[in-house]
Amino acid sequence: MIKDDTSKKNYTLKRQTGYWLGEFTVMASPCQILLDNVDGALADSLTALAYAEAKRIELKFSRFRDDNIIARLNSGTNEIIRVDEETIRLINLADLCFQLSDGLFDISSGVLGKLWHFKQQTQLPNDADIKALLPNIGWQKASWNAPLLRLPKGMQIDLGGIGKEYAVDKVAQLLQQQTDNAFLVNFGGDIYANKLRSNEDSWQIAIEDPNHLGKSKLMISLAQGGLASSGDSQRYIEVDGQRYGHILNPKTGYPIAGGPAQVTVYAQNCVQAGMLATIALLQGEFAEDFLIAQDCRYWLS
Amino acid sequence: MRWILLLASVLSLTACSSLGVTPWERDLLAKPEMQLAENPMEIGFDDHTYFSKEGSSGGGNFAGGGCGCN
Amino acid sequence: MQLKIKIKSKSKSKTFTNISMTLAAATCALSTPVLAQPSELDSWDVNAGLLIYAEGDNQVQAYEGALSLTKQIDDERSINVKGVIDVLTGASPNGAVAQNKAQTFTRPSGNGSYTTVTGDTPLDDTFRDTRVALSTQYQQQLSRLWLYSGGAYLSKEYDYLALSINSALARDFNNRNTTASLGFAYAYDTIEPEGGIPNPGVSVDNPNNRLTDSDTKQTLDLLFGLTQVIDRQTLMQLNYSISDVSGYQTDPFKIFSVVDSNGWANDYVYENRPDQRTKQSLFWRTKYNIQPSGQVLDVSYRYFWDDWGITSHTIDSKWRVQLSNQHFIEPHLRYYSQQAADFYRVYLDDSQPIPEYMTADYRLGELQTYTIGLKYGLPIAGNEFSVRLEYYLTQVSGDDSLAKGAGMAGLDLYPDKSAIMLQSFYRF
Repeated sequence: MIKDDTSKKNYTLKRQTGYWLGEFTVMASPCQILLDNVDGALADSLTALAYAEAKRIELKFSRFRDDNIIARLNSGTNEIIRVDEETIRLINLADLCFQLSDGLFDISSGVLGKLWHFKQQTQLPNDADIKALLPNIGWQKASWNAPLLRLPKGMQIDLGGIGKEYAVDKVAQLLQQQTDNAFLVNFGGDIYANKLRSNEDSWQIAIEDPNHLGKSKLMISLAQGGLASSGDSQRYIEVDGQRYGHILNPKTGYPIAGGPAQVTVYAQNCVQAGMLATIALLQGEFAEDFLIAQDCRYWLS
Repeated sequence: MRWILLLASVLSLTACSSLGVTPWERDLLAKPEMQLAENPMEIGFDDHTYFSKEGSSGGGNFAGGGCGCN
Repeated sequence: MQLKIKIKSKSKSKTFTNISMTLAAATCALSTPVLAQPSELDSWDVNAGLLIYAEGDNQVQAYEGALSLTKQIDDERSINVKGVIDVLTGASPNGAVAQNKAQTFTRPSGNGSYTTVTGDTPLDDTFRDTRVALSTQYQQQLSRLWLYSGGAYLSKEYDYLALSINSALARDFNNRNTTASLGFAYAYDTIEPEGGIPNPGVSVDNPNNRLTDSDTKQTLDLLFGLTQVIDRQTLMQLNYSISDVSGYQTDPFKIFSVVDSNGWANDYVYENRPDQRTKQSLFWRTKYNIQPSGQVLDVSYRYFWDDWGITSHTIDSKWRVQLSNQHFIEPHLRYYSQQAADFYRVYLDDSQPIPEYMTADYRLGELQTYTIGLKYGLPIAGNEFSVRLEYYLTQVSGDDSLAKGAGMAGLDLYPDKSAIMLQSFYRF
């Protein structure tokens, strides 16, 4: 629980021109809440609410903790575990995306993270090591019968690919219950806006150029809806001039090659946008073919 | 005299490479009323009227009139 | 904006099923369902406009209707098609000078005549004409920083055909804070006045006062533009343009009074303008967003000069004020001042030889114009509707002592002209 202690707040609140900006760091990402047409007191309570919900989701679904449902599922005991309603929905979504992407979107591929950590990594992992992990990967091997889930020994699931977008949509839902005003939720590039600002303007989003960090490559006007970017702008290895993004192919154990560096998708909500963006990137060189078939607004870079 | 004016204006603006905004400061500039061609049809009507009734043309856009009005 | 990435050209492509709906259903179940539709680019943007221009004293009246359609083909390309119809009626000064007697003039066609009463500035009311113009403009983002624009234009009225093409390239610099552009346009106009091209300097009564049926004029325009974002609230534009016009530039309907020492006109001859004209202009414009009100001030200055001796200054300013519930008002003020062309004359003396080039058209004389107007905008059926009412005053300057002799004593040779303009726009 978050202590309501104003002397040690976990978030900051700043007044910008035309809106309030609440900021905090959750899920290792810079998170922002932009609030239009509210007063300072409401902005503070809304930011506190957003922080609390985002933190709750991080604590519940992070794979780096040892006290949550994910830790229990990944403990390797091969037991049947009953998960709660919220987890059911997320696992159902992961299961659906697994099928819709022909197995490329696979939450059991998290175990590859030990070999591909992308932090100052300068060489590719050993091929033998990668091959050794492959038998532990493959959501089809898990036994999912909501609300019961059983993971085989050695399998580790990671909801990192859904968690941030889910947090955006959940926070948005909570904010909408508290205020009729326009707001924008931005968790490290996963965005949701509920409506046009009070002066009838859209929210202006600058998408970072993956090849020139700090510089923006394109401006998007967002009136309402979700925007998510998937890509290798921050995490990648470059070996012999070849860039290896952090989107890994669960079937081969290697990063997806040949696709765009970054995909940004617009959809009705953030999770949908994020799933479309991730699945698109997983298609590699066919990313754009995939996006065109989805009839959604997208941007490649 | 005219050429000095021309040169001065070009130089003063090219010295402007330090001027400008970061992409996230473009909120006001993105508004429709801040666009140079906010209502092209209105500009068209005005240009046509003044081209027909005065001796000058052009400035904001091409100088051509394209009609028998003058 | 959709950016094409530099993937090696794919030799194969894959077809995919649309999973959006399935995903949408699943994700909406996760959190609150979203009700509103994502905003999409409408197929065609339409701008419809109307202009009514009316001068006082039964002079020119013009009615113009325009329809402009723009389609955003994709994130990089757009195309615009525009059609204009204008109808001109009323009378316009024919160049002859006022007299203390009635004057009769033959119509340019040769059929019929018209009379001007004593003391009035002679006006020719032969200007009933309808004009139709069609144009198209295409824009394409060639790459992240380069923009191309090209178009074609056609205008036809009873005695005039204008055809032109234009092409321009623009490039962004400094993180899109600076844009430099270069454009060129070429126009080819044909004039076929009723009665034929008049013989310059020749009397209107002379039976041999026509040269040919028609003549042409070509225009080459070059425009250098620079746009610069100054800060978050300020945008500036600087343009230099140069224009070369060659061909027939005389107004075939304008004449000159040839007056005697007593100020009485004893002949009328056709005017004549040079075959060559080089026009240049410098244009500076600033748009400033006043904070925190959000009002926008738009001010521009144009300095124009050509080799006919005309120089002019134009100051144009608009102030956009947003009101509640999406209404707005926009006052407008414009000031224009012009020096006369070298060959501008009010009339000719019969004791002097006819000059090679001469015009009595007040529009090439020394004048100042003032425009004051107000525009009001509001949403109708969710789309912007606006109406603009303006008052346009032209004051012609000149040497009053030229009103000489009994023929012109007490007459105002430089009458002011006022006009009301009403414009209306609907965009959807």
